[in-house]
Amino acid sequence: MKRIVSLFLMAAMLLAVVGTVSAESKTIVYWSMWEAAEPQGQVIQKAVDAYMAETGNKVDVQFKGRTGIREGLQPALDAGTVIDLFDEDIDRVNGTWGAYLMDLEELAKASDYEATANAGLMAAARTSGGGTLKSIPYQPFIFNYFYNVDIFEEAGIDAVPTTWDEFLDACQKVKDKGYIPVTSDDAYILCTLGYHLARLVGEPQVDKIVKEGLWAEEPAVLTAAQHLADMAEKGFFSPTIGSSVWPTNQNGELALGDAAMYLNGSWLPNEVKAMTGPDFKWGCFSYPALEGGVTGTEAANFGGQVYGINVKSEVAKEAFDIILKVTKGEFDLMLSQESIGIPADANNTEWPAMLAGVRPVFDQTTTRYNWAAGIENNPDMTPFIKQELQKLCAGSITAEDFVANLEAASNK
Amino acid sequence: MRKSRTMIVVFLTPALIFFGTVFLYPIIRTAVMSLFHVENLTSGMSEWTFVGADNYVRLAQTSLFRTSMWNLFRIWAIGGAVVLGLGLMFAMVLNSGLRFKRFYRAVIYLPNIISAVALATMWLQFVYNTRFGLLTNFFKTLGLDGLAATEWTAPGNKFWALLFAYSFGMVGYHMLIFSSGIEKIPAEYYEASAIDGASILGQFRHITWPLLKGVTKTNITMWSISSVGFFVWSQLFSTVTTDVDTISPMVYLYNQVFSAGNAVTERNAGLGAAVGITLGVLVVLVFVAVNTLIRDDEMEF
Repeated sequence: MKRIVSLFLMAAMLLAVVGTVSAESKTIVYWSMWEAAEPQGQVIQKAVDAYMAETGNKVDVQFKGRTGIREGLQPALDAGTVIDLFDEDIDRVNGTWGAYLMDLEELAKASDYEATANAGLMAAARTSGGGTLKSIPYQPFIFNYFYNVDIFEEAGIDAVPTTWDEFLDACQKVKDKGYIPVTSDDAYILCTLGYHLARLVGEPQVDKIVKEGLWAEEPAVLTAAQHLADMAEKGFFSPTIGSSVWPTNQNGELALGDAAMYLNGSWLPNEVKAMTGPDFKWGCFSYPALEGGVTGTEAANFGGQVYGINVKSEVAKEAFDIILKVTKGEFDLMLSQESIGIPADANNTEWPAMLAGVRPVFDQTTTRYNWAAGIENNPDMTPFIKQELQKLCAGSITAEDFVANLEAASNK
Repeated sequence: MRKSRTMIVVFLTPALIFFGTVFLYPIIRTAVMSLFHVENLTSGMSEWTFVGADNYVRLAQTSLFRTSMWNLFRIWAIGGAVVLGLGLMFAMVLNSGLRFKRFYRAVIYLPNIISAVALATMWLQFVYNTRFGLLTNFFKTLGLDGLAATEWTAPGNKFWALLFAYSFGMVGYHMLIFSSGIEKIPAEYYEASAIDGASILGQFRHITWPLLKGVTKTNITMWSISSVGFFVWSQLFSTVTTDVDTISPMVYLYNQVFSAGNAVTERNAGLGAAVGITLGVLVVLVFVAVNTLIRDDEMEF
């Protein structure tokens, strides 16, 4: 009898030990680019809470904000800080922090991730990752012209402009109704020049112009400047476009209904929703094609935030499960609704009403520009380009002055 | 008392170790780093590429860096003259027997206790706003429509808009330092000079100014250090992309080290280190110049 009891006790002890090991929870450290109070931060926290409740694992989420993660992530990784999962812009994660990224091809395949992912975004992630999948995109965005549908209707614009002449015609109609056709702030005004030049000569040539200082040598610069100077002369730009510090005109002229169009990202409706209210009708169209241009309305800057897993992480599978939790199903939908963003999960077919007009543009975009189509690729020139562009759009310098001033500033 | 060498060593060693690790090592590392191309601030020395003086040559040849140095000089010289001048004037007025002295002093100092972020936002979005801003409405009320239409943050105006807003917040701090110096001057000096028929200007020239030399030196040094570190206001006045009008060497350094713009660009912590060393040398030069030009060891009181 004693022997049976002792065997029974031994078996019970073994079971207890095995049980303890299998139930041992793991800790995943996640540095996020969001602030805890932002809609994105709040939804991510909810997704993480749900993940912890389901798995028993612990997730140490640290909301660092944009500046915090840009300044702090790499020094922390170099110092050996345990960080399993992090997120930021697609180009920064793959470009600046590429050496710290784990290849996610196998993990993505194992979960059949791409069956319900946006193919264009996954392709962009692979391109940014040097041909392999090192990051998982979420919170997709597209950067294009956003407009006030009510103003367009009042001005009698039946179809969105697709060519430069149609665009100028739309501007004239808006102006005739007493509205400001196009507004911008200092933060985004450079995108106008980047897109315009990229339409004319393609993004690689824009990169070359800003890095090699080909302002006078590349005739497209003068052409673009003449187009924008023409707009300024016709009064199509906001009278404060030369001095507006972001977000003055975004929150003022556009959100309050004085201006019709703003070249911005699909995050714009979310950023100004407190000013516009829920009834504001948003439209979106691709930057117009230019005669003889290299790229057309199929091209735009699109991308998203992406998740990366530290190549040294010992809980990569668990980190990937958190990615799945945030970027698929319930929480992807919640993220889309709360932040008025585009869903990453293809099964989440319902987009926020404010972004309904963005969908056709997003779907038709097949060529990806990098940020501002490369016009900000030389940080030693960016402030000069911005300054001269502000003057050009404000009508205080000519197209020829614009070219000459940038040629002079380009350290050649 | 007998000096114990052991005790000296025991008490000095922790301080020396602390000084060496917190001050000396970073300075030496930064100086060495400035001679290398360093992609990542925290990468090991084995990943650095020696470039000699190239970083310094590149800085000298870069228009944007030269512009940032010119902005720094204007902030230091023009802003310094205004801030220290007003600070001294307020300190003298407040110490001239004015009623409600503590109230006025608190009012002038108030901007110093408000966050720079809140202050800069107030200036940008309210004071300088051309749609409903304070200045626009003020000049409209006076019927000065030309001035009311001024775009205060347009290229060319933005530097002055920034300098004015920054100086507004800094006067109180330097006023307090001057005030503490003036309060130390015995009142009998002024009484005696008044009996002898000295004017207020004469009292300032022959009593206040000579006895404030040490405090002035402190103020100039403090102003120089804060000017060299000019960063937050510059960032707040160009919220997303850097401006020609508002860029300072520290912002240039930050952009180079962290690729802080919207576009992901090449980083060079070595170039950033060269900026840091250049600024450090500048502070030392200003400190030496101030000590040479203003001697405060001639008088005791």
